Amino acid sequence: MLIEILDVIISGLLNGSVYALMAIGLALVYGVTKAFNFAYGSFYTMGGYFAWVFLVPLNLPGGYYTVFLTAIPFLFVVGFFLEKLLVAPLRKRSDWQMKAMMLTLGLSLFLDIGYIAMFGPRLKSLPDIVEGTLDIGPLVFMKQDLVIFILSISGLLCFAWILNNTRVGMAVQAVAQNPIGAQIVGIPKDRVFAATFAISTIMVGIGGILLSQKNFVNPQASTGIMIKAWVITAFGGMGSIKGSLYAALIIGMLEAFVGYYLGMIHIDIAVLTLLLITLAFRPQGLMGRE
Amino acid sequence: MMLSIENLNAYYGQAHVLKDVSINVNKGEVVVMLGPNGHGKSTLLKSLCGMVDKKQGKISYKDQDIIKFSSEKIVNLGITYIAENRELFPYMSVMENLKLGAYSKNARKYEKENLEKVFTLFPRLAQRKKQYASTMSGGEAKMLAIARGLMSNADFLAIDEPALGLQPNLRLEVARIIKEINNQGKTILVVEQNIPQITDLADKLYVLEEGHITFEGNKDDALSNDHLKEIFLGM
Amino acid sequence: MIKILAVIYGIIGILPIFVSDSSIMMRILTMILIWSVVASCWDLIMGYAGIFSFGQVAFYVIGAYSSAILSVSLNVPPVVAVLMAGIITAIIGVLVGLPCLKLAGPYIALVTFAFQLALEPFLKGPLGKAIGSGGSRGIISVPPIEIFGISFSSSNLVPFFYLTLIMTLVCSVIIVVILKSHWGTAFLALKDSEDFAASLGVSAFKYKLLVFGVTSFITGLFGALYVHYVGILSTRMLSMEVFTVLLIMIVVGGIGQYPGVVLGAVVTVTMNELLRPMGIYRLLIMGGMVVIIVLLLPDGVTGLFKKLSFFRSAGKREQVQ
Repeated sequence: MLIEILDVIISGLLNGSVYALMAIGLALVYGVTKAFNFAYGSFYTMGGYFAWVFLVPLNLPGGYYTVFLTAIPFLFVVGFFLEKLLVAPLRKRSDWQMKAMMLTLGLSLFLDIGYIAMFGPRLKSLPDIVEGTLDIGPLVFMKQDLVIFILSISGLLCFAWILNNTRVGMAVQAVAQNPIGAQIVGIPKDRVFAATFAISTIMVGIGGILLSQKNFVNPQASTGIMIKAWVITAFGGMGSIKGSLYAALIIGMLEAFVGYYLGMIHIDIAVLTLLLITLAFRPQGLMGRE
Repeated sequence: MMLSIENLNAYYGQAHVLKDVSINVNKGEVVVMLGPNGHGKSTLLKSLCGMVDKKQGKISYKDQDIIKFSSEKIVNLGITYIAENRELFPYMSVMENLKLGAYSKNARKYEKENLEKVFTLFPRLAQRKKQYASTMSGGEAKMLAIARGLMSNADFLAIDEPALGLQPNLRLEVARIIKEINNQGKTILVVEQNIPQITDLADKLYVLEEGHITFEGNKDDALSNDHLKEIFLGM
Repeated sequence: MIKILAVIYGIIGILPIFVSDSSIMMRILTMILIWSVVASCWDLIMGYAGIFSFGQVAFYVIGAYSSAILSVSLNVPPVVAVLMAGIITAIIGVLVGLPCLKLAGPYIALVTFAFQLALEPFLKGPLGKAIGSGGSRGIISVPPIEIFGISFSSSNLVPFFYLTLIMTLVCSVIIVVILKSHWGTAFLALKDSEDFAASLGVSAFKYKLLVFGVTSFITGLFGALYVHYVGILSTRMLSMEVFTVLLIMIVVGGIGQYPGVVLGAVVTVTMNELLRPMGIYRLLIMGGMVVIIVLLLPDGVTGLFKKLSFFRSAGKREQVQ
């Protein structure tokens, strides 16, 4: 009984940590650019396919090392240019946020169907990053789970460090807090927008590489992931990075428990209910400002 | 001549805000812009600093036409805008706000030096390095906005209503600071009409009404003009 | 506005005289009518009331399921079931709107979209089965609408088309009345100035809720109409595909450019049918189209027309940098 609960908690923590990585990316991009990226989930899938292409058909030497080293610059470039080409031109128009949502929704359909057209509709499985188990007393951990957990947490720490200790990070925060102020001090706002978009693309793409090992690379996973990341950011408070961290862990736990005790089919309903109740009492989310 | 604006037209949405505005500012001068609210004074400063998109005409600064330059390029050239409503970074400390003030390439090298200067000029800010900008009083925030502007190492400051909403003693303080900054060699274009002490500093006055420059001259010329005297100088 | 609508619906209304033999054409024309109303409602919500609602497809499906369940499980006559479905959808719309409309834009989008996503597991799961949704199998053999002994079903395309046309015209009149009334004016004012919106405060909320209720009613009604026409229903209606097709109508027609969206529906439904032989690439093209149209035609086809007539009338207007 106790072991069961511990297992559920561990799987909640594991999912929660990867969700945190992805949701914080979204919180960042929303906080800074105020654009609703509805194609976010498609970059999760993109990460998964990227890893699959490198590891399975190409079978490149270096395995996951090569994947991560190449995926980060690849995702950065993809995110940067998509922002420059697709989102930035909308920014000066009327109803631009609505148009950005529509455009990214279209982009998401395009990408998702594009994956099916390129790789076929069947799920792809990724090799485990490490194999074997680790036994601590009565508890049995998959080594893979531990590595995923450690990688996503270190991704988060790395992100936090960049945000608080580098010029780019400070510029990103400045634009999020006051875009006009940022312009006054000479921060190139447009480049910051594109860079944040790119960083968030990296975060969700890496999330895709990590979670697809357990859940397969699935061309239809995008919508679910996108909505999950959005729910977490809204629950935590739009644009609040700390809020998203807590929210991701709470939702990871909620999913694990609901999935285990009530069945997987109830997960979405439970998450939505939690979101609605939270927003009814705190419209700005857990840690949102205003 | 340091700055010369020729036939500048600027638009805000559908509205034609500035109509053929021409002004000149020489190095080391304090130039004061007067005029009723909503007649384009802020738009003029913002156009100068690359913060208005729809505009045409000529803005030459140190013999370079900068009308098409982005705001970050203009800041880097040494022109800084100090906004009427401060535009600070609310969830950052005084120190972080100041450091971001020195974001541009031109300012980075002088960050330490300027920080010292700023703290001498505003000793109160030195005592509150760690305080969040959002928790400061109106007067302190205004000082921080000016201080952040100085951190950019600009030669030319475009200051928008620095004393708006301040108590009388703080207004005098603002006037003293502007004089001090000017004495340090900065050229200043300031929109302000509530403080005679700032008007006193002016080497030149302009009046902007309904998007047109309707008066140009020094303070004595202005005083001999009854219309101006009554409406803008409050005398 | 009324003239353009009259022309579009007039042409569509006359077409069956020439194509009534072709069942494909009749189906396309009928779907154009249905989608044009559903998309118009969405445009009213998003383009005019400024509510970022992504729940439109969900309301359509709720209308369809309500009517199907009422007529299959409870033996309610379809005519009555359709009306009741509209009312049920309106009530659910108001219930969703109540907590939602006080939220900021993106939250509304999110909650309504999440609402749609949660609807599928709900309908497939035990709760849905309990109210008669038929689980993942869906509902088959939904009876057609019958009025005065005439059966309006998919085997009887022309009568159903004209029934739909009448309902389309009635609902379009309602939409035009809303847009021309002081609601419409209030919405435009709201969009122009957030401060003004804030100063309106509570009444803005009331307007939005009312509009949400009315559009949910109409959407539910057409969902119900549709289900009695096709006779079968499953949660596949909730797929991203349906959502995107509806979105394209607005994108093509232009957001807040009513009746542009009606034209959008004509173009989109026709194109969707033409592209059908392309299999999976149809959706790829549709997705790409959303991106390109939003980027290149910010106000859709309507914006293009407006621009053309603007250049003609004021060709010499000074170019502003």
